Order: sequence, then C-alpha cells, then structure tokens
Amino acid sequence: MVMAIAVQSCIPGLDVLVLGLIILLQEEDYKNMLWLLPLFIFLQEGMGSRNFGVSIVWYAVVFVLFTLGRWLFEVGNFLFVFLLSTCLGAAYLGVAWLMAPVQNIPFNMQEMLDVSLIQALFLPFAWWLLVMTRRWGSNDTA
Amino acid sequence: MAGRRILIIAGALLILFLCMYSWNQRTRHLDELSADIGLELTGAVLKPLRAIEDTVTDFWKRYFDLVDVRAENTALKARVAELEARLLAHGEDLAELRRLRVLLRLPVDVNWRPLGARVLAGRMGPNAVLDSIVISRGYANGGRPGTPLVTHQGLVGRVLRASAHTATVLLISDPGSRIAVFSQNSRAMGILTGRGTGSTLEVNFVERGSNVAKDEVLITSGLDGKFPKGIPVARVSSVAPSDYTQFLAVEAVPVVDMHHLEEVLLLEPSDATLAPVETAGPPLPVPAGP
Repeated sequence: MVMAIAVQSCIPGLDVLVLGLIILLQEEDYKNMLWLLPLFIFLQEGMGSRNFGVSIVWYAVVFVLFTLGRWLFEVGNFLFVFLLSTCLGAAYLGVAWLMAPVQNIPFNMQEMLDVSLIQALFLPFAWWLLVMTRRWGSNDTA
Repeated sequence: MAGRRILIIAGALLILFLCMYSWNQRTRHLDELSADIGLELTGAVLKPLRAIEDTVTDFWKRYFDLVDVRAENTALKARVAELEARLLAHGEDLAELRRLRVLLRLPVDVNWRPLGARVLAGRMGPNAVLDSIVISRGYANGGRPGTPLVTHQGLVGRVLRASAHTATVLLISDPGSRIAVFSQNSRAMGILTGRGTGSTLEVNFVERGSNVAKDEVLITSGLDGKFPKGIPVARVSSVAPSDYTQFLAVEAVPVVDMHHLEEVLLLEPSDATLAPVETAGPPLPVPAGP
C-alpha cells in the first residue's frame, strides 16, 4: 500500500489501489476485501479533491466488470486482465464525465482521455509485475 | 428469478448510495471523515518517503555534486552584500511608513504569521481533479481550510481541505479559484480566475478605462477577505478590449512556478496584534490657540 501511494504521488490521476482490488477478486479473498475496500475508498477520497462518493461508483464499476468478465474468461489470464483494463480505462472516463456535472466541476476531456489511457496501460503491466514477483517469491521459499 | 433479484439488489444499492450522497452534500461528515483517514494516512506515508528523498539528495549535493560551487559562492556573497545595502536603505522608508500609518490612523490588516510547510505531492489519485498539491501541515498545526499559501515569489493558493497533519491546497491556476486583485501601478481592480494547468490566468471585470499595461504585476487587494493585501499573484501577459463584454480582456501568468514547488509558507491570521481601534464619530475640534 505504501508503494501504491508513492506511485500515485508521482503520476497524477492514476489509481494504483485498484490493482489490489483485482487481485483480491481473482483470489476470491472476500475476508480481506471486507476491510481493505473501505480503506481504499477512504484513501482515494481523502487524497482527492472531489466530494465523497466517486470512489464507491468507480470500485462498483470495477466489481461489476470483473464479475461479467468472470462468466466469459479465465480470470487468472493475462488476456483477461488486458481486456478488463481496457474496459476500466473507458469506465474511468465515463465515471469522471458522469460525476463532473453532479459535483459542479469542469470536465477536461483531453486531460481525462490521457489519464484513462495511462490507467488502462498501467494495469496489465503492474499486474504482470506483481504476479511475477509473487511467483518468484514463492519459488524462492520453496 | 435470479435476474430479478439482482435488479432489486442493484436498485436498493443505488437508492442507498443516493441517500448517502445527498446526506453528505448537506452535512459534509463523510468528506471530513475521509480527509481524517485518507489524507492523514497519505501524509503519514509520504512524509518519511520525502525525508529519505531529501537525505539522499542532500548527501549527493553536499559530497558529490560540487561543480561550480566556488563560483556560485562568490556570486552569492556579492548578492548578499547588495541586498543588505538595499535592506538598509529601505529600513528607513519602512519606519517612516509605520509612523505615517499611525499618524493617519489607517486601519492596519490583521497580522499574518508565516508557517513553513513541505510540498508532499501534486495531484494524487483518481479523485484529484482540481489543480492541487498536498502539504505537510493540517488543521492541528496551522493548515486550516482557507489559509493562504505563498512562496518568496508570490501567492500559491489556499488550503481546500485538511486532516490533522496534512492538507490539500487549491492552486490559483484551478478554474474554481477566484481572487480579488488590483494592478500594482494603475490600481485597476479585477477578479483573477484560473483556467487549468499550463493555461494563463484570466482577469475579469477590469474597467475599459483603466490603464493596465503588459508586464504589470497583479497583487491581492484583500477585498475578498481571504488573502492579505499586497501579495504578488500574477504578471499581465496581454490586454485587449473584450469582444463580448464591456470590460477589458486581460490575461496573466502566475509569478510562482507551480510546477517546481518544494516549500511554501502558510499565512495564519494572528490575533496577537489587532487593528488599531478607530474612534467613532467625527474628529474632535482642535482647540484654538491663544
């Protein structure tokens, strides 16, 4: 989580914590999700500048897209993560566009397109890196 | 049957969310709670990281990166001597200004106590849509919402939301920022508005007859009651009659480099020195001499 906050401080607009949610969903670790998800929401809402509620919508979209994807694909697959991240990039833009007029905040299409593209590209790369690190760690201990 | 159940659950959750959202819009309890938890945790993580970064950078600068230090030292000594001479010359003017203010009984602004703060990060996370930075002071140590922020160059912005030891600052370049200013030489009044990162600022409601010139400095007027009077904010980059309104179309660039902020000063209003009490009613008649 420390690493996620450090990375978020370097790249404006990026959500690194969503990767943790995807891993939790893949491993069906609902017990940890019960306390980690509210913490993620409070962290994102606290460090942000919007009114409370946008993170709930955003993580709900992630949950729904993941559940829909689970019916069609094998969730531990890189292709699934790549497709999910593409959809999440579009969803990121959609949530920002939806919530901007609700909160009376100007919506900058160009900037949001850039950030959603970064978000879409970041997820598969970070997921692959995390999976490789965990695999390497488990091999090392064995 | 299962589809119907999913629809009912989704509808119930949506209603629950809307209720929570409306309640928070009215009370702001969840905003405060998220700032107290999320922003405080973020600050707690970033402060040690920035301290490590500072230590490594200082170590590198002090022991390895010593190119041109001697030449820079000589230049700085000459500059210090020049500034000391200038300070000495202005000291007398300042004392005279204070005497004259007392003499004329001008209302003096409430004193503002400067407090140093470290910039921890720029915009963070998907919810940081406003032009903002995160600093290392919160409401417990001087960073209450509304507190103005400056550097040695000029105005940076004001605190938007705060946890106990960390705060988010709205920069003057954000489209939601409004500051009452006037031009330093022509004293033309206007409202300075941001237009987003990397864009110029806009000065609205400047009268057509005013003599605002290019490169003139805009300073805070203090009329909005949010910023102390006389802080440089921006430099005029273009002036032209507006095609749509009866005012001038004035654009300006901030005097502070917003992309390279490291340390800032918070201006906390101090109650220690209050404005002199003004006498009510007309001045007393001067007794006639003998």
